[in-house]
Amino acid sequence: MKVRINGLELDFPAGTSAIDAVFAAGNDVPYFCSLPYMSPIGACRMCLARIGAPRKDRDGSWILDEETGEPKIFWFPNLMATCTTQVMEGMVIDTESERVKDAQNGMVEFHLINHPLDCPVCDKGGACELQDRSYEYGNGLSRFEFDKRHTEKHHPLSDLITLDRERCIHCKRCVRFFEEVPGDELLDFIDRANHTYIGTADPGLPNNFSGNIVDVCPVGALLDASSRFRGRNWEYDHIRTTSMDDATGAALIVDARTGRIERITPGLNPDVNKTWIDDGVRFGHEYCDAPGRLTTPLLRRQGELEPVSWEEAAAFIAGRLEGLSGKDVGVVIRADSTLEEGVAAMALAEELGTGQLDHAPRPAASLIAARGSATITDLATADAILVVGDVTEEAGILDLRIKDALKGVTPPTLMAHGVPIADLRLKERMPRRREILTVAAPYRVDLMRHAGSAARYPVGGEAAFFRALSKLANDETATLDADEEAATGLTGEGARALVARLAGAKNGVLVMGGFVLARREAADAARAFAKAAGVNELAVGPMANSYGLELLGVLPSHERYGYKGMLEGAKALIISQLDPAQDEDLKERLRDKELLVVHDIFLTDTARLADVVLPAASVYERDGTVVNLEGRFLPVRAAPVDSGSSTDLTGVVRAIGEALGKRLDGRSVRSARRNLKKRFDLDLAELPDVGTLPRLKRPSPAKVVTQEPAAKSGNVLVVPSMARTEFLSLNPHLSAAVGGPRLRVHPEDAAEHELADGVAVRLKVGGTWRQAVVSVTDAVPKGLMTVPSLPEQPVGLAQADLAGAVVEQPRVEVAS
Amino acid sequence: MSEPTDITPFFADKQEFVAEVLSRYPDEGRRSAIMPLLWEVQRTELYVSDSRVREIAEIVDTTATEVKGVLSFYSTYHEQPVGKFHVQICSTLSCALAGADEMYDFLVEELGIVHGETSADGHFSLQKVECVGSCGTAPVLQVNDTYYERVGRGRCQHLLDALRQGEMPAPWRERGGDTEGAEKPAALDHTAAPGDRRGEG
Amino acid sequence: MSDQPTEGAKPAPIVSRHDPRYEVTMYRYVGVDGAHKLDFYRSHGGYEAARKALTEMTPAQVIDEVKASGLRGRGGAGFPTGVKWSFMAPPDGKPRYLVCNADESEPGSFKDRYIMEDDPHQLIEGMIIAAYAMHATSSFLYVRGEYYLGYERTLAAIEEAREAGFLGENILGTDFSFDIVMHRGAGAYICGEETALMNSLEGLRATPRLKPPFPAAAGMYGRPTTINNVTTLTSVVHIINKGAAWFESMGTDDSKGTKLYQISGPVKRTGVYEMPMGASFRELIYDFAGGPTMEPKAFIPGGSSTPMFPWEDRFLDMPMDYGTLAKNGSMLGTGGVIVIPREKCIVNALYNVVRFYSHESCGKCTPCREGVGHWLPRMYQKLLAGQGSLADVELLESVAGNIRGNAFCPLADACIMPVQASLKWFHEEYEYLATNGKSKYAKNDWWQA
Repeated sequence: MKVRINGLELDFPAGTSAIDAVFAAGNDVPYFCSLPYMSPIGACRMCLARIGAPRKDRDGSWILDEETGEPKIFWFPNLMATCTTQVMEGMVIDTESERVKDAQNGMVEFHLINHPLDCPVCDKGGACELQDRSYEYGNGLSRFEFDKRHTEKHHPLSDLITLDRERCIHCKRCVRFFEEVPGDELLDFIDRANHTYIGTADPGLPNNFSGNIVDVCPVGALLDASSRFRGRNWEYDHIRTTSMDDATGAALIVDARTGRIERITPGLNPDVNKTWIDDGVRFGHEYCDAPGRLTTPLLRRQGELEPVSWEEAAAFIAGRLEGLSGKDVGVVIRADSTLEEGVAAMALAEELGTGQLDHAPRPAASLIAARGSATITDLATADAILVVGDVTEEAGILDLRIKDALKGVTPPTLMAHGVPIADLRLKERMPRRREILTVAAPYRVDLMRHAGSAARYPVGGEAAFFRALSKLANDETATLDADEEAATGLTGEGARALVARLAGAKNGVLVMGGFVLARREAADAARAFAKAAGVNELAVGPMANSYGLELLGVLPSHERYGYKGMLEGAKALIISQLDPAQDEDLKERLRDKELLVVHDIFLTDTARLADVVLPAASVYERDGTVVNLEGRFLPVRAAPVDSGSSTDLTGVVRAIGEALGKRLDGRSVRSARRNLKKRFDLDLAELPDVGTLPRLKRPSPAKVVTQEPAAKSGNVLVVPSMARTEFLSLNPHLSAAVGGPRLRVHPEDAAEHELADGVAVRLKVGGTWRQAVVSVTDAVPKGLMTVPSLPEQPVGLAQADLAGAVVEQPRVEVAS
Repeated sequence: MSEPTDITPFFADKQEFVAEVLSRYPDEGRRSAIMPLLWEVQRTELYVSDSRVREIAEIVDTTATEVKGVLSFYSTYHEQPVGKFHVQICSTLSCALAGADEMYDFLVEELGIVHGETSADGHFSLQKVECVGSCGTAPVLQVNDTYYERVGRGRCQHLLDALRQGEMPAPWRERGGDTEGAEKPAALDHTAAPGDRRGEG
Repeated sequence: MSDQPTEGAKPAPIVSRHDPRYEVTMYRYVGVDGAHKLDFYRSHGGYEAARKALTEMTPAQVIDEVKASGLRGRGGAGFPTGVKWSFMAPPDGKPRYLVCNADESEPGSFKDRYIMEDDPHQLIEGMIIAAYAMHATSSFLYVRGEYYLGYERTLAAIEEAREAGFLGENILGTDFSFDIVMHRGAGAYICGEETALMNSLEGLRATPRLKPPFPAAAGMYGRPTTINNVTTLTSVVHIINKGAAWFESMGTDDSKGTKLYQISGPVKRTGVYEMPMGASFRELIYDFAGGPTMEPKAFIPGGSSTPMFPWEDRFLDMPMDYGTLAKNGSMLGTGGVIVIPREKCIVNALYNVVRFYSHESCGKCTPCREGVGHWLPRMYQKLLAGQGSLADVELLESVAGNIRGNAFCPLADACIMPVQASLKWFHEEYEYLATNGKSKYAKNDWWQA
């Protein structure tokens, strides 16, 4: 429909809001309560404009203006909030007249009367919407002379977020965020009239996405406690990059200053994370600064590791390698290494002539769907979803996109100014189509609260779960026997309803988490079910580039040359950012190696055994590319962090290559990209911020698989966690918020083993000693505990030695 | 305010009542039960504590934050205990014209507490409230749920004396105006000029 | 204004209580002992209208009758009731709601309370008829929390009505089933706004909703809903009993029927008076309420949200109807007249009003929360403390002007328009106070024995 904004006529689809029309026309109005991706509410009254529209006569024709002969414009008597006004055919919007300017001025004045003059000490300064709008639309001088409303100024909403109630301008974005995005009403207005303040009765904001309220707050009321008072917004370098914390590839902006990372906020990627990230991503960066970061190579001389130059270290490595047969060398990289690092690893392995090449952690099953993967947008617009696993912890963004699907609103069409500011399809407290979602896991996971049905299947029973469902999918008349029902964790009726819903869906999606991918049998059964039910699959790999490295082929030439095999059998190991020595048995093996080269950011247990230690760039310090679980190629860009002479694996391979007198592929990001261009026909240096989802020739799933994990049974399930457990103790804010790595224990088991809620314990899981905090809960069935995963201890069943658990420290009563 | 962690749930022995309240509203409208449940707590315990907020949240399947947001919005739910006799003085225009401000000052003097306070012995609390809907019989006092109308100085003293003894006297209620028994208009008495009147005939 | 009756022309409308054709209907039994009981109500012709509607008329006919009567909503907005009922989306087999707005909180209004305490069956009967007309499947009666006696009496009446078969399944042997759920408010004027009322009923904070969607399309729990005031519904009983023509024979061109007016402040006989629409203020104040007991200065026509008028004949002679008040820059509102005596400083009176709105602001939108909630009371306090200047009066006017028309819901305007009226008509009192540091009228002993 045709709309005229300050004289300029444009065409808009029905349902567009007037504020978006104004911005599309290149004009602007101020706003605080509106926000892209959230409901418009018309509360702040900043976006007022003078609006008129023609009217139709009884006979359906336009009432004409007698003088001009054009449809007469009937102006609304009051100024209208453009964010909650839908455009109509022939609408006229004026944002420039005196009357509108006066109103804008007046509204700015009202916003400021109770706002404290904190700018000099407020973290938001320089990035504050109130500052900007006041400057653009305000009068400059305040006429208010009375006492301002005084209230609490540093209220700790949680360990992560501080609230200054005086600064709050009551836009309600934070309240609406919690209800509309993760669907958990943890914040609300308390009291009434001008006494209204933001508060909660759910202490600690128990939600994995709480940090996003700091971004949505237009002023400095809600602040990131971890970066408070650390720097001024204009002092930061804002580096647009991609999160490497999980397989979704959320867009990030890393704020760095004087060589350290101060803060992480989300970037915009409409097809992946929109404008949200989980708390693990946001607050999980502090470890990069922790004391003990390796900054120079280390070489063992006379039993001690001493700092040396890269040339010396590389020369030593080259020297040792000459004495070895290349095929006795194993090269393994972490699954969040970039594609460029993968090229480097492959080039090194090829140069050495070894088939002992792998990336870890790597699930038993392939991540690459034979029939093609669903995209995240498919998931967000699905009409039937089955999730197996704890996707909220494993790939937080998927939790939020699933919740989009529950609302039944498709992603907005981008406009000239980007994501629409006021999407009128979004409303406060919309009804959710819970019935389209089923969540299956062997213990109670958070997403089950939002699902229409929850299937608590027996632990380790993923294959049986899917086989039972396939039985129903393949034969409408089939019924399940008692064992099969038990395997689904649903009633017979419930299972049938689930299958019918998935099979009848136009766009059904099966999300397979780590539990399914941990065993080939389970993944095969899942994929067979997906095929039978006609739904798309989305496999959640353990790390940021699991998909990419498998696609690239950083894989052993034979099953026995994989990571587990090379730890046993190789004579020499080049390990990048993995710490196998955590396992006591493996630690002994590693002592015997003829050459142990460890590339890492800290002096880990494995590094302490090494002959050569090379300082690694953290995930925030690399330039490269990762491929997320959809197959989307995403750019990773380095933030200016001071970490000495650390480098990513391409640097390692350059150094070793030079020492060997060779120019290896992957000796630099640029050279790696030349290789990758040939491989994928993509110019990775030109990747847009939001990445690209190329149409690759359907890659066949890797033919090589790891050995099945030994444990088909166990008393502890290693589960995903949004906070990277290996760094948790070095991320103090995040650690305080999640309370440390949690060992969930059923109340009866806890009583039996005398484990009280909150005590810190050390216990051996598999061969690795784990530190954890006991959490007594009935979310787990009796007889099963859960402990969060490590790169060396990926999700799946394991055996914990409960009897040998050591209570580190009794519970400390914290005064509330 | 800190509370003991081991509290008997308020609604533990009121399950029938809870069920009846929930039955008034459709399933998707469970939250509607918040207000009647809040009132029941308020009525019984003279305030709504954090643990009751959590209980109600669980009953209606929402967060404690949401219940607290609702509780704190209204003038007649209290987060601190009110007195056995919660004296509410209507202070809006018609009652102000009949002396509400002076009545308030008198009560402050007599009771030794101001608006928003409860006496130390928990006997009285005082609240200046807005229009209670009895403007024709101003000034009006509301004690707990009962209206006392046309409370002049005399009646106010009488009321206070009774409340101090722990009793609520029978309320003074009048209709006045256009009701049976009210003094009906006799002659047409006004001061307008003749010929100004309408409706004669 | 008397018409010369010509052959075949309609008789002159009844626009005065003195008109011998006029009869009190709604307010007949208020103040009568025991009138709230079912026996009393039935023995005085109660539930006949409901019987007539349910057994002799179709829902569409009921709506037509109410439309023809010209009844306009009595809660203050004055929207034509029959038209409002016809906005309800067509029945689709799922729940539809009638909500009775008994949240009477407008200062100067107390008519609904008397009905609920003394004649609740009349309200119940009105609700039955209204629900039938709009195919409502259920209803809520939202009564303000302070009206405890009204709540008790109406609840008891509902139980009586249910036992007698006027509520519940298959009422009076028809296939119309309907019941009433009472829901008590808890002290918030904003709940009188229909969308805030729905939020309150749903167990949310009672802030108003966006419109569209309108309640008739999506109201309670997202379902079609109509919200009506107490006396709108009681009017319906008599419209059905006596016919639309009877109702339409009373009142002016744009305001039909009989209405409960209220009067408070220093007059001889305060209270509720039922009068035909179009009766004058003079008639109410002098003829029935016995006239002022102190020298009057101004009167508020319809509740504190309505701009005041000075005590002048041209205003006293205005008919109390929607159109006339609107034409004169005010509103009829609830018809709750408040008389302001000369001895009451206008600035002081308005401070009282402003303070009311500042307490009752819900806090959702900025101009109301900050302007009405915080700034305006302080400006009045400064003036009344004798510390204001003429510049402060100007500032008050400017800030009030910035609030007017710009807020989310009408509450802010309900505060500002009276403020602006007081400045228009009594500017000299503001000036006096600002210049002299004290009120022109300093009486502060109002409390009688």
